[in-house]
Amino acid sequence: MLIPHPLLGLRDAQEFTYLGDAALLNRPDPAAGEAGFADYVYLRDNPAGVHRELWFHEQGDRSWLVVTRNTLTHEILGAELARDVKLGGTA
Amino acid sequence: MTDLIPMGALGTPDPARASHGALTLTENTALMLISVATRPGTPAPHPLGLHLPGPGLWSQGQGAAAFWTGPGQWMIETDVPDHAERLRDAIRSAPGARLTDQSDGWVCVEVTSDAGPAPIRALLERLVNLSPDQVAPGHATRTLLHHLGCIVIRRAEDHLAVLAPRSAAGSLWHLLRETASRQVPAATA
Repeated sequence: MLIPHPLLGLRDAQEFTYLGDAALLNRPDPAAGEAGFADYVYLRDNPAGVHRELWFHEQGDRSWLVVTRNTLTHEILGAELARDVKLGGTA
Repeated sequence: MTDLIPMGALGTPDPARASHGALTLTENTALMLISVATRPGTPAPHPLGLHLPGPGLWSQGQGAAAFWTGPGQWMIETDVPDHAERLRDAIRSAPGARLTDQSDGWVCVEVTSDAGPAPIRALLERLVNLSPDQVAPGHATRTLLHHLGCIVIRRAEDHLAVLAPRSAAGSLWHLLRETASRQVPAATA
């Protein structure tokens, strides 16, 4: 599997480690309370189809990516720097 | 004072050296490495006029070279101690730039070919899972070699350098020698 790194081009998935659902970027406000944090920490969607995930380029430039992947076909539909996603592309 | 004997990362007093067919492997014990990082939004510094290149690239300047290691992060190489000191001073005075000396953290093996680029290309095909344009001359990238995180620098068509963590010097030397020795028949044919 090749991941299209936005800066370095196609790179082998072996160089990456997988964290999971990109919803982890949306950490709740500290005032959200226990229920809000329980959802954030424990609950994940498990879609059969297009999924946005966090991948870490550990054996490369050590950037975090948001990779859009189809979990049924393993087709990779795109990859962005997580920093750009989180900061609205201003970084 | 205790008399200490300087030695290379492989435990030899002189730089380790091996030849396989057209390829020569030499440990580069003179290399000094300075890592430079900038804050987000800070333009890339130009210490002593050295160009800090973009993603995946390596650039050679006067007495020093630099390659990209991550967003806003580079590694500078030099083998001239005085020049390293001047570079450190220049980076310290650059706005928003930070440096760490990494000279002791790495081992560097230079691989040169005396039969043009073909043996280097054949070696890269066996070593790294990267397309030829990602390891073309003037490119440098961090990747995996035999499950070992390394930096691969293509200094010229017939010249490759591989940097690995110094504690893995023996593994790097072994994997490069094994791979180079196995391609001898193909390279000489």
